[in-house]
Order: sequence, then structure tokens, then C-alpha cells
Amino acid sequence: MTPFEVKDCALLTRMSGLPPAFNLRELRERIAVCGENVLFHHFCETTLRGSFDNPDYRNDFAVWSKLYLGDRVLAERLGILDPYAFPSLGELRAATLEVIDERLGELTMIPWARAGDEFFFMEATTVVFDTGIRISHPRELAASIGAMTGGSLYFHFLEARRRPPFGKDDFTAWLFENNVGQQNDPYVEALARIDFDFHTLPHLRKELVKVLSELEETK
Amino acid sequence: MSTPLGAYEGIVRPAVLRQLRQLGEKLAGTRVVHVNSTREGGGVAEILEWMVPIMRELGLDASWEVIDGNAGFFEVTKAIHNGLQGANVAIPLKGWKTYEDVNAKNFDRLRPILEEADIVFIHDPQPAHLLRLCTGRKGKWIWRAHIDISRPSRPVWKALRPMVEKYDASIFSMAQYAQPLPHPQFLVPPSIDPLSEKNRDLPPAEIEAVRSEYGLDPSRPLLVQISRFDRFKDPVGVIAAYHMVRKVAPVQLVLAGGGAADDPEGKAVLEDVIEAAGNDPDIHVLLLPPDAHTTINALQRLATIILQKSTREGFGLTVTEGMWKGKPVIGGDVGGIRLQVVNHHTGFLVNTPEGAAHRIRYLLYHQDGIDRMGATAREFVRENFLLTRHLREYLTLMLVILRDIKANVVNV
Repeated sequence: MTPFEVKDCALLTRMSGLPPAFNLRELRERIAVCGENVLFHHFCETTLRGSFDNPDYRNDFAVWSKLYLGDRVLAERLGILDPYAFPSLGELRAATLEVIDERLGELTMIPWARAGDEFFFMEATTVVFDTGIRISHPRELAASIGAMTGGSLYFHFLEARRRPPFGKDDFTAWLFENNVGQQNDPYVEALARIDFDFHTLPHLRKELVKVLSELEETK
Repeated sequence: MSTPLGAYEGIVRPAVLRQLRQLGEKLAGTRVVHVNSTREGGGVAEILEWMVPIMRELGLDASWEVIDGNAGFFEVTKAIHNGLQGANVAIPLKGWKTYEDVNAKNFDRLRPILEEADIVFIHDPQPAHLLRLCTGRKGKWIWRAHIDISRPSRPVWKALRPMVEKYDASIFSMAQYAQPLPHPQFLVPPSIDPLSEKNRDLPPAEIEAVRSEYGLDPSRPLLVQISRFDRFKDPVGVIAAYHMVRKVAPVQLVLAGGGAADDPEGKAVLEDVIEAAGNDPDIHVLLLPPDAHTTINALQRLATIILQKSTREGFGLTVTEGMWKGKPVIGGDVGGIRLQVVNHHTGFLVNTPEGAAHRIRYLLYHQDGIDRMGATAREFVRENFLLTRHLREYLTLMLVILRDIKANVVNV
């Protein structure tokens, strides 16, 4: 079995250079032209950032719509967008713009935020490095994940879905690669059952450890 | 005395320390110089006191240099500092000349170390002019703004901006604090040291001693706001909230802060607070000396609920400290408090004394919520606002700036 190489990553947030948005139309204009890295940050990297605004919604656009535009309808529509379900960030951008355009069409007034509540567009650089740690068997997964940093967990379980093989976390991809006689199927199925969207990284770690440990206990 | 990284074992997960050591390995031998304007006192010195020794422990060749200045220089830099934060100040040309001359004098002394450094962190505006003087520099220079410069006095920013924009990058604590600049602007929020006097675990006897000293009743709920006596911290609004709660619950209130003696505005606020408190024996207004860290620590631990009802706030590290003590926080819906207080999870954000009173009553009614939110708050700080995260972001920043400052992903 090929050992699983545990990587780690650290995120460094920076201003994107785009002007902040004070209202929904400005938000739409900025999303239409921002770099994909900006889009990725506000949809995906929120879990790894040093703060979170509201665990109700996992992307910053939905949170801002709810808290500062006061538009719960828009927040709900944006909040359900799953960034990992889109084959590309371009398609995620198109879907986001579609939701905002639909809402702009429904409203008679453009919702706006108070000064100080504007939306700041940010992006991040991710530094990735090899921890030197290796996992040689699926039964080691629970303990290894339990000892991982949030950075490792994010890199292997969330960010991985945007790398080939697209849509798969690194653990699942590794289990598939080494699935002699379908022996890893129970692990793959257990990982697939986790709805990671609503977890903070510490919760996600706990959930993964729980699911994988239960699997070992039932063996 | 500096605290070794190993001392944080048990406070953060082993993986967190391993990650820092691995990032440090990638930067082993890197010559890093921090420059600020004071060795003692103030938030910047507090950060550098722990950061520089730990960077050295991780293998970096880190040092901390302090610029010397005369009274005239510090008068000008105080005006620059206030101007950057929005105060309407006038700095005459003579003042800017003093600023540049003192920087030049310091540069003569620091030239070898600054020229040879791989990375130089210049903290705040006082030493910002050094970059212009260091024409033979080899490394990258980063300007670290610890203050909110989002709405500066235009003349002050107009004079300072040409110095700052020549840096390779800048760091701000929050997006809301930044100014548009032609280089990358990184965001690194501040942090607390869980082993400092203000935050370390206290033995029950020490906590009880503080309770006795101030005559606090252990059988009744205690509300605590720790902050200097400043109108933006709204201590009078806190007393108004207390009065609203007091009609239905036998709460006690502590308003503790320091630094009013040499500050006319602070003195006036303190007088207003004392007047608002009246003769109520359950309102304790404590004017504490600047080194009363253990007392503050104990008061936060004695609190049932921590308040920080600011109407304007920087990052709000007193919120972080309160959360680290496992307490829910009712905070003003402003500044960095918003990054820390999440409604129903770590406390509540409020906008008025009425809102604060409502949430105090809510929490006193939902006692289980106090414990649950307090536990969440502590874990939230553990994950996001301890010095280990702060250090990780500095190390990451150095790796990025030495490799490819504009890359989205840097493999090291």
C-alpha cells in the first residue's frame, strides 16, 4: 500500500486590491471581475481563516447579505451554494451572479450597508509543506487525523476537492488507489457520509475521528 | 523573561507546535530584524517580547532593535500616531524635520544590521522613514501598522504615505484598518499570551483574595467590564444596562480600568461613571494601576458574564481575554469584537444599553448557555487568537515574501 503523505498548510490573508462594496450592486460588480483566488477565499477558505462571522452560512457573501444588507432571502440563496459542487470557479462565479441578479430583479431598492459594514474583498496565499508524517494503513487514519493540524485537515479533506481527482478528498482518493479487493469501501463510504459544510475544522476533526473509530470498533 | 515554545504544550495541540517548528525549519538562519520605538510598555513591545525569543528558538536569526529619540521626536510621533487614527493634528515642517533627523541618527547606528537583514519588520510610523535611508538594503521590508489608519488626517497620511508605499508589503490587524497601497497588504489579527500574568491560570486562593479585596458576593452573578475610562467603551451605558437588569436579578457590576490620572478626557469620563454609579454598593468602579494584571485576570475569572459594550473599538483584546477565561461576552457590534463574538455561540453583539440588558437577562435565565458559550469561547480563542496563530502567520508571511509574494500557493 502506498503510504499517505501528510501535508500541512498555513493561510495568509491579504487585501485583494478591489474597492469594498457598500451595496448589493457593487457586490455584484466586484464579484464579476474579481480574481478566482478572491472567490475561492470567500467561499472555501473561510474555514481556515482566523475568524468566522456566522456559522449559519459558510460563505462570506451569504453572511454579509444576512448581517449587513439585512436580506435574508439573498443570504439563504447564496448560503446554499456548494463551492465544491461546481467543476470550476468560473461556474461558481456564474451561479453566484445569477443568484444576485435574480434578487436585484425582485427588489425595488438596492440593499446597502452602513459605513463600516462594507464588504472587503480578500484573498490568501497558502503555504504548503510536507510534515514528514506517513499513514501506511486505513486503520491508522482515525488516530492520524486526530493528531492533525487544522491546516492538514483543510488541505486533505476540503481543499483537495479542487485538485485532481476533482471532487474527492485526499483520504478517499488514497483509499481508492489502494482498494485491493474493495477492502477500503467501508472507509470510503464512512467519509462520504460526512456533511462537512457546517463543521468548523475542530468539529470536522472530531467527526472524522468518530466515524473512522466507530468503523474500527465494528470490525 | 521569555517563555519557551514548549511551555505552550498542553495549552495548544501538539500538532500546532509541530507545525510552528516545521515552518521555523524552513526559515532557519533567516536574518530577521524587528524595529520599534520602545522596549517596554505598549502592545507592540508586548508582542515582540515573546515573538523574538520564540523566533530565535525556532532557528531564525531574529533580533529586536529600538530607535532612540528625544522628547521632540516623540511629540511628533505621537501627533503622527493620533493623526493616522483620525485626529485633526497639525505637524509643522519643523516637526517632520525632527522626525527625519532622529530616524537618520538611528540609521547610522543600525545600518549594518538593517542592510544585511533578510527581512525587516518596521512597527508603526515612528521608524518608518528608515527604509528611505537604507539604500543598500538586501532584504525585504515590511511595514506593520498596529493601529487603525482607515480614516487618517489627510495631511499626515499625505506625508507618511510616500514612505510607506516603498515597502515590499504591509500588515494590518483587520481589513477595516487598511489604506489602499501599491504593495500586498497582509492581514494578521493580534493575539493573547495564555501564559502571561493577565491570562495564566490562577490558583483558587488568588481569585478568592481578589473577591474579598473588593467585597464581591460569591452568591450573586457578577458582570465585569475591563477597559480604560473612555467614552467609546460606554461605561455609563453599561451602568444603564445594569440598572435595567437589577430590577429582575440581583447582579453586581465591576467596571475596572486604568490610566485616567494624566488624561483629562479619561478623568472626566471617570467622574461621569462615578456619578452614574451613585451610592449603589453593588457597582464597583475600580481605577487600577497599569500593572494590575493579576487583579484583572482574577476579575475576569470571577465574572459570570464579561461585557465590552464599546461603541468604537480596535480589535478588542479584552474580549479575547474574557473569552479565554471561559466566559460568554456581551460586546458592542463594532470593530474586532465582531470577529470574536458570534451570537448564541460565544456571546452576543449589542448596540444599546437596552440590548446589553436584554442579553444579560437572557444569559442569566439560560444558565446552561453561560457554560456552553463560555466553553465555545475558550476553544474559539484557543484555535484563533493565541500567540501560536500569530506566530504561524508571521512565519508564513516570511516564507511567502522570500519566495513569491504574489503566488496563490507556495510549496516549501
